[in-house]
Amino acid sequence: MSAEQRRRDDEAAREWKGVYRHYDLVKEASIAFGVVLALALVLTILFSSPDEPPSTIRSWSRTNPVDFVTTAVTELDGSSVTATYGPPYNHASSGQHIAFIRLQKWFGTNIAINAAKDFVLAPLGSMPGTSSVRAAVATYQSASASQQAAWTTAYTNALDKATVSSADTVSIPAGNYGPVAPMMASLLTFAQTGGLDGALLTNKQFYQTDYTKPLMFMADGAVLSDRAAAEHLGGDQWGMMNETGAYPGQVWLWLYTFWYQIKPFSTSNNADILVMAVMGLMSTLFVLIPVLPGIRDIPRKIPIYKLIWRQHYESLGPPPTTVQSAIEPPMPPAAAAPG
Amino acid sequence: MAAIFNLNHHAGYVHWHFIDLSVPNVLVIVIMLVVFAAAILIPFPKPTGSGGA
Amino acid sequence: MSTSAERSWTVRLRKRAVAALPPEKLLPDGQPTYVASWIYVFGVLSLSALAALIMTGSILALKGPSWWHFSSTGHFFNSLHLWSVELFFFFMVIHLWGKYWMAAWRGGRVRVWITGAVTFLVAVPCALTGYVSQQNFDSQWISTQAKDAMNSVGIGSFFNLMNFGQMYSYHVFLLPLAVTGLVIAHILLVRRHGVVPPFELEDRLKAARAGATDGASS
Repeated sequence: MSAEQRRRDDEAAREWKGVYRHYDLVKEASIAFGVVLALALVLTILFSSPDEPPSTIRSWSRTNPVDFVTTAVTELDGSSVTATYGPPYNHASSGQHIAFIRLQKWFGTNIAINAAKDFVLAPLGSMPGTSSVRAAVATYQSASASQQAAWTTAYTNALDKATVSSADTVSIPAGNYGPVAPMMASLLTFAQTGGLDGALLTNKQFYQTDYTKPLMFMADGAVLSDRAAAEHLGGDQWGMMNETGAYPGQVWLWLYTFWYQIKPFSTSNNADILVMAVMGLMSTLFVLIPVLPGIRDIPRKIPIYKLIWRQHYESLGPPPTTVQSAIEPPMPPAAAAPG
Repeated sequence: MAAIFNLNHHAGYVHWHFIDLSVPNVLVIVIMLVVFAAAILIPFPKPTGSGGA
Repeated sequence: MSTSAERSWTVRLRKRAVAALPPEKLLPDGQPTYVASWIYVFGVLSLSALAALIMTGSILALKGPSWWHFSSTGHFFNSLHLWSVELFFFFMVIHLWGKYWMAAWRGGRVRVWITGAVTFLVAVPCALTGYVSQQNFDSQWISTQAKDAMNSVGIGSFFNLMNFGQMYSYHVFLLPLAVTGLVIAHILLVRRHGVVPPFELEDRLKAARAGATDGASS
């Protein structure tokens, strides 16, 4: 479509100078509201809504104590996902990037998490009446970095042969784990009483609404991901669109999750920033459709409009053969203009 | 108040190459396409003397 | 008008508002005859779903975010709220499809398209903040997963999906305010510019041009 044709089309579309008919806007809106409420009511009565209870550190440490201590020792030795994440939690890495654009790093570390201290050492220190635990922590903290690593590595390797007792305690073969084994055993007990859920939440002030620490800790283990995989909510399962149970999810996220399923996004360490960049670009283009050459002309070229406006086109009668009737299509009998 | 249909069970999935969509989501998409087609195809009532919706 | 009235901000605003949207344009009782397709009801259906969302959301807000886990009445209203969300996106996307195929931005209506498109883009994070405010397993999973996308572009630094207090505030107040403001602007622009007229048919356009050429040469 040429610029001149587009300008003419635009001028012609600016204001309707043709016939109006009577119409009750408020009545239509009221009927529509009633219809939507009725539909929502019917769907609610038929299907209700999902509400799967949250996992807690308490439930996690009781149902899978080996996974709990495995995760806890990775927090202690700095190898967990949180400990190695980078901004906004710490400086362990510089985070994701596209070429030189490192937004994750540039926005800084505003939600500071020291994994070893916040998830292990501080909670152990807060346990009342446990001088042996405090002594173990002191021993650990005063040891050299290489000694600490030797203990945590030995403990991690021993967990492959761990057994769980009927009391949900974890037993590992004898070995040189230094203070790490009693620290982990105490942390497990603390978690199983529910104390760790609270300790991670209320360490700044009485009133808290920020669940970052308990969530990050659980996300470092398998408790959330195991449940998610069972419900088909994983990132590689188009999970972003899905809901627990057999409910529809956030279907409108289909294009967003699509990119994560294909290369290069599915195998990239920078998948998130790449997908955000693509979706940011597509969203911008979506908003700007009216000015995008080609895209804005498709509705004219694929005439779905002929179906939408067929009553109007039928009312115009046959195409004109004279100048006069080309300019003024026959007026169907109807009401006056509004006012 | 219990629902008439209990949806708290695993959903079915539609697999095709790398596409893996849940049946409820596929249903939503299909219904949207059907409703869109119906909206533009179903004749709109022609106005009577006083006209209007 | 006196000089003081000329200088009055109130008078100037009123005159501009009334000039742009006189009462009969704001609440017309007539519509162009070409508005004759069921596709046209999806705008008002989307608006109705938004009203249902605000209504059910307000009831949930009355009793606080824990209520619906322990009360069957609360769960009922939560279900209404969830299905209103599904209906809102359902109707809004069909409305969007219709408006695209009508090229409804024509004739000076670009801002109508833009406000509508941005409404959709703001509704998506509004829904997301709702999902992470549910305080159930869904919230745990969605927040710990989506945080990676937020962090990758730096906004996770000040928009923390795992901070329930923050997410609840965005969901109950800030983002619905943004969506509602955009929808109001969208509707006022539609009232201002009217519903976009149909494309002129090619054979009529050709006949008009041929007629104009004949007229010029005769």
